[in-house]
Amino acid sequence: MPKLDSLSILIFVRSWGIVILAALLWGAFSIWGLPIYGTFTNFSVILQGIAISTIFAAAIAMGVFSGVLDLSVPGTAALSSVILAQTLLSGWPIWAAFVAAIVVSVAVGLVNSFFSLRGINPLAVTIGTLSVTSGVAALITTGPPLFGFQDLGFISTNLYWGIPAMFYVAAAVFVVGTIFLTQTRGGARFLAAGGNAEALRRSGVNANLYKILGFVLSAGLAGVAGIVTAAYTTQGNPAAPTDSLFTGLTAVALSGISLAGGRGSLPKVLVGSLVIGEITSILNIKNIQPYWGVVITGALLIGALYLEMGIQKQVSKRVVEAKNAERQQSAAAEAAATQQKGA
Amino acid sequence: MANEQEFALSLEGINLYYGFVRALTDINLSVRPGECIALLGDNGAGKSTLLKVISGAHRPSHGVIKVHGKPVEFHSPKDSANAGIEMVYQDLALVDAQDTATNLLLGKEILRPGLLGLLGFLDRKAMKEEAKREVAQLGVKIDTLTRPVEMLSGGQRQGVALARSAVRVAKKSQGILLLDEPTAALGYEQKMMVEQMIKRMIANNIAVVLVTHDLPLAFATADRMVVLNRSRKVADVATKDTNNDHIVGWITGARASMENM
Repeated sequence: MPKLDSLSILIFVRSWGIVILAALLWGAFSIWGLPIYGTFTNFSVILQGIAISTIFAAAIAMGVFSGVLDLSVPGTAALSSVILAQTLLSGWPIWAAFVAAIVVSVAVGLVNSFFSLRGINPLAVTIGTLSVTSGVAALITTGPPLFGFQDLGFISTNLYWGIPAMFYVAAAVFVVGTIFLTQTRGGARFLAAGGNAEALRRSGVNANLYKILGFVLSAGLAGVAGIVTAAYTTQGNPAAPTDSLFTGLTAVALSGISLAGGRGSLPKVLVGSLVIGEITSILNIKNIQPYWGVVITGALLIGALYLEMGIQKQVSKRVVEAKNAERQQSAAAEAAATQQKGA
Repeated sequence: MANEQEFALSLEGINLYYGFVRALTDINLSVRPGECIALLGDNGAGKSTLLKVISGAHRPSHGVIKVHGKPVEFHSPKDSANAGIEMVYQDLALVDAQDTATNLLLGKEILRPGLLGLLGFLDRKAMKEEAKREVAQLGVKIDTLTRPVEMLSGGQRQGVALARSAVRVAKKSQGILLLDEPTAALGYEQKMMVEQMIKRMIANNIAVVLVTHDLPLAFATADRMVVLNRSRKVADVATKDTNNDHIVGWITGARASMENM
């Protein structure tokens, strides 16, 4: 096979590019942002800064892996945080409030999957539920955020070994999610349903079940993000944090996958989030207008997808070249075989 | 009809209409275990439609399908799979991003023993071993079983798809394998590989129905040739009693139908 080496390099870049980028940025910004940037304190600040957006990224990633861009994630999160605040204010125990918020979020996921599996474009369905969920959240609070429930620092700002609790929540989401995707039968089928549901169906597996799972995981994680947001901001805010959609999607794109579904790795999404966090941090430290962060996030999203498309094209081209070479060999072999017959 | 039990698959008087269009007219067909029939015909003759009827994707308007002598009714491809019929589709339906082992064992993954197994944890090592064994049994050459199948060549992808169905069929006592154009877009060596695989399946007493445009492949593997022309069966003849010119005559319609003789 010709040019297998450059093929391997391309695949290596696609697989590890984001990790290399994160390390390079850390090194470069540590020098540029001396003496503050490269410290453990700043690292802890970055982790706190990205904890919530990372959980949002996981929610969006689960949708993307299963082949769906779930736009209702911010609305579901807002509804979840309002449900949490409302139930706590009504005197529910903390665990019951958590359960209520997650159950409502999962229900949103089930509604999304119900209409999407019946053939309505999932983008339209999830835009619809984005509107419905944030509307319902506002109806519950009658508009303004809900304040005054007990302190939930143990899942948000309390420090353990110098790192804020909410980062451990995010880490737990990623560890459990990664084990599910890479080590279990459910995870393998979930990814297969995103990549080629027909293959799964022909193997006698109920592919729709795994499509539903995609919506439910996405919404459930949005619910977790809503809970942590409420704990961190000490309020249940009915305004849907739509910017979480953009940073989340950018983190997914930075992890080096197309948005077509069927592939993806959560740890790389985490590193994608970290890259965005690093950029936000250096803008803060250098006292640059934070609007640049918004501009850069958008540019990164498009740039990452463009790069991934380019690499994918190159990889396909190389594989086709290898196939053509194989075919030429075959033709030669066929000619030789006919000659032998003739002789 | 005393020897009806001998047939792995038999079709009696199959008709299929799409509105006013007759896609299949009075098709009778039977295949014994360990026999391969080649289903030939021009585009639109009804070969693929007939295959879809057997695989349960289409329901015939009239007619009876029997598997090992028992009448069956298929409402979906799953029903036909339960009856021991496996189909290799022209579009291979592989999960591109996943490796050969995962693709081969999709739907029958191997779990770890003990508690982890109950939690649904995969035994990747055992899956790789199993895939290696199955692939070797079929004589398919695949570079690495851990490479995503999107990185494999056309012949190897065909090998994976064929192996997936073949393995399932082989597990059942008297399976039936349907192949839809297995050599389309393959090079010479890959064609030889597919030919060998089909021969192995026949040797393992599996009934094979092969839809193809590839006459050399049909002559190399099939015991009988069945030719369809404009929704009707025009020939059903033992391979040794016919030749290329006759078959081409039936396919193009230049030769009179055997059925009316």
